[in-house]
Amino acid sequence: MKNILIITWFTLREAMARKVIIFFAGLSIVTLLITFAIIAVTDLNTLLQVQNQTNDPQIFKEIVSSIQLMIVNPLSGLCLLLAIFASSSFVPVMLEKGNIDLLLSKPVSRSQLLWGKYFGGVLVVFLNILFLVAGVWLIISFKFNYWNISFLYSVVIITFTFAVLYSLIVLCGILTKGSMLGMMLSYFIFLILSPLLLVFKEKIYMLIDNNIVKTVIDVIYYIVPKTAELLSKINVDLALGKPVSDFQPVITSFLFLVACMMSSIWLFNNKDF
Amino acid sequence: MNAIETNSLTKIYSSSFGKKKITALNDFTISIPPGTIFGLLGPNGAGKTTLIKLLLGITFPNAGNSKILGKEVSDYKIKSRIGYLPENHKYPPYLSGKQVLEFFGKLSGMQGFELNRRIDEMLDLVKLEKWKKIKVKAYSKGMMQRLGLAQAMINNPDVLFLDEPTDGVDPIGRKEIRDILMNLKEMGKTIFLNSHLLSEVELVTDRVGILNKGKLIREGKVSELTERKQEYRIRVEGKLPQTITENLLAGQSITVLSDGAYSLKLNDLNELNSFIDQLRNNHIIITEVLPLKNTLEEMFISLIYESDKESVQ
Ligand SMILES: Nc1ncnc2c1ncn2[C@@H]1O[C@H](COP(=O)(O)OP(=O)(O)OP(=O)(O)O)[C@@H](O)[C@H]1O
Ligand SMILES: [Mg+2]
Repeated sequence: MKNILIITWFTLREAMARKVIIFFAGLSIVTLLITFAIIAVTDLNTLLQVQNQTNDPQIFKEIVSSIQLMIVNPLSGLCLLLAIFASSSFVPVMLEKGNIDLLLSKPVSRSQLLWGKYFGGVLVVFLNILFLVAGVWLIISFKFNYWNISFLYSVVIITFTFAVLYSLIVLCGILTKGSMLGMMLSYFIFLILSPLLLVFKEKIYMLIDNNIVKTVIDVIYYIVPKTAELLSKINVDLALGKPVSDFQPVITSFLFLVACMMSSIWLFNNKDF
Repeated sequence: MNAIETNSLTKIYSSSFGKKKITALNDFTISIPPGTIFGLLGPNGAGKTTLIKLLLGITFPNAGNSKILGKEVSDYKIKSRIGYLPENHKYPPYLSGKQVLEFFGKLSGMQGFELNRRIDEMLDLVKLEKWKKIKVKAYSKGMMQRLGLAQAMINNPDVLFLDEPTDGVDPIGRKEIRDILMNLKEMGKTIFLNSHLLSEVELVTDRVGILNKGKLIREGKVSELTERKQEYRIRVEGKLPQTITENLLAGQSITVLSDGAYSLKLNDLNELNSFIDQLRNNHIIITEVLPLKNTLEEMFISLIYESDKESVQ
């Protein structure tokens, strides 16, 4: 456990030494400043009128939460894109000749090394997202004097979404000793495959009456991590304080994560350097 | 208990989809007792680095096994008593020399005051104390090598593996490294050294092994390996008279090295002494009698040459 913590800590330092993370943090700060500026000049009257008309505090709360989501959701997408880019080289750099020899000569097991790199990457993204989400939340909550704690679930969900994709990046890193494949696959899943499958499942699935095609879509759907659903559905439900209708995307994505990490560890344990 | 022990260790690399196979190490067996400085010599690609990697569990053998300090290497905890300087070591460029030692010290299970004290001691030993706050990306090659050595010794290991430790280090630095190694030996540490610099290996090692194409072709004490059979150099004042060189030495070979210096091949010490008697009887002043030795380098080159010739046949 101690070994994992040491590697995690030094992975954090590695991230700090990379420009991408500074850019990442800079982006969050700029966002917070813009949010602050916009909110500061926003006329509250319109909003309050709505409240007076309906006299329903629930609607007011939903409006505030929606504003928060409107800011955080697209940004978290951008953050994830950056996070994938920034973290994709952690494992390949570790596997470089001269570096891995040295690490493996220390009293650290291979799985500890890999978990250390994994948690390090996840921690970096967690801290960034925490900074961004908590910042936006604080500014808006102050302004409207409505403290919607459940909005902070976003930090967990966004970090979890990253953790799932990062496990794939780790696996590809071990397989290819490079960062390209992992990065491409993650972008493909995040930007194309997962949103597409969601549309298929919800809109087009009913229109197909070929069972084989249906099964194929089902299989692909359940295997591919459901980043689109995590961010658009689960995240929104939680942020608005609504009960989550279906935890299936969380569970299947988590299983994907476990499968990727287990395969990575197995491959790493049997690899020559 | 031996510090390092291998038993029929064999490693076959298969490259490009398994089409071509390279036997990097072939049936390698050796035992190295504690407190030894062992030098492994061999041409490029002989398998020296491969052997160290197998010993440390960085690469896995196809056959055979090995033990360090009596433990299998698959037991990773034993590595807290091992130090390693790889041949192309890289350190995170964003860390300073001190932070590099901190990282590897912590990974070796050290911490707190003890670690800090040890870091300062090591930086002092390799003469990098002025550079400790500077990022390693600004280090020169020799400085990296010094840092590498400090890194390998940070946990005060009982067994030290050094792959080309003096690579890129200036002559004074090399002397310093030799002194460090001798010092470690006195403390009872075992040192396993890979090197091409035979004259240096000769100066520090107790035993050497010679590896060619994955096979151990010779192993023993340096003095044993470099000894030449009954060959002496004799220096005299003036020249030897022809009578002696031709008549008195019938049957023995004598070669003129230069005026007044001769090399002599004899069967035993008696012959040497009777030869000296003859010279003295002829009132010749002897200034030097020296048993001749091969340098390690000469021995190395001829051994590798022979072994290559054999493998061709
Ligand atoms: N990862 C690898 N994959 C395939 N072949 C390898 C690998 N590592 C080493 N080899 C081969 O194994 C043989 C031994 O290599 P090794 O690095 O052990 O030699 P060496 O004695 O250390 O040489 P040098 O003096 O140049 O450092 C070489 O033929 C090399 O090509
Ligand atoms: Mg080598």
